[in-house]
Amino acid sequence: MDSFSAYLEGGLAPEAKASVEHHLSSCIQCRTSLERFRRTLGGLGRLKGTAAPNSFLADIQQQINRRSRGRFFRRRWLLFGRIPFEWLSLAMIVAMLVYYLVMLQSSPTGVKPIP
Amino acid sequence: MSLSERLLVARLVKRDEEAFNEVVRQHGDRVFNLVLRMVGSRAEAEDIAQEVFVTVFKSIDSFRSEAKLSTWLLRIATNHAKNRIKYLARRREQGSEPGGADSGDLADEGKAPAQSQIHGPDVLLEAAETEDIMQQAIATLEEDQRLLVVLRDVEELSYEEIVEITGLPEGTVKSRLHRARMTLKQLLEDKFK
Repeated sequence: MDSFSAYLEGGLAPEAKASVEHHLSSCIQCRTSLERFRRTLGGLGRLKGTAAPNSFLADIQQQINRRSRGRFFRRRWLLFGRIPFEWLSLAMIVAMLVYYLVMLQSSPTGVKPIP
Repeated sequence: MSLSERLLVARLVKRDEEAFNEVVRQHGDRVFNLVLRMVGSRAEAEDIAQEVFVTVFKSIDSFRSEAKLSTWLLRIATNHAKNRIKYLARRREQGSEPGGADSGDLADEGKAPAQSQIHGPDVLLEAAETEDIMQQAIATLEEDQRLLVVLRDVEELSYEEIVEITGLPEGTVKSRLHRARMTLKQLLEDKFK
């Protein structure tokens, strides 16, 4: 029974392996025991991996930020994790357009030339 | 260690935040799973796994590049999990904590939605029960044996990696692991009798 792990993991020398197999061929008790041992290992291998929670990264960043007194992982104004340059550009274009229209409206239209 | 890993570590040493995020994304689930199997409670596992990555951020300068980053991470995770188990045991001894790891947390993990679409409810229930029983059996092992079972049979690490993580000689790893497996086999036999 001491050899079960080594036997199943292919860690026995050829002579030792042959000796185990010879014994197994004539001992039903050890064969049953080996089969149960194999099933135990199979059950362990089938345990499902559990994913970390969705907030895992954000929680760690928060911890580091707090412990470093704000030196790392500073909260920034981000959209989807980055600065939204395209939205900033659009906002600037709209602002410039509005400014141009306002200036156009307020500029004197009926200016008479000075005599 | 691969070139890409060396580059990643070099960025980590400079406290590059995006490099750190990459490490958490790459190794977060594995660290969380290892710790969860060790302590048996989701809430404790979340706390410990976060602490592992905070330690990584702080102590990356002490990482020696002859080891793999994943091995180093798992060694930190193992130490944190062991310390927490000792701490929780002390608290239980002092009577301030209701006993036992809340295996209920892990029992909830046994029901993957993808599986429920494939298998009938009976098969799913049986699988969840088996996983639950297996986790309970793991939880009864001695801490050192539990660690070896999780590293080898659940996480499927090589003996070389396990030796690096635990600092134990390979022969000791193998003999302790074999004893742990035999104990588990016996526990499961008793359970299903």
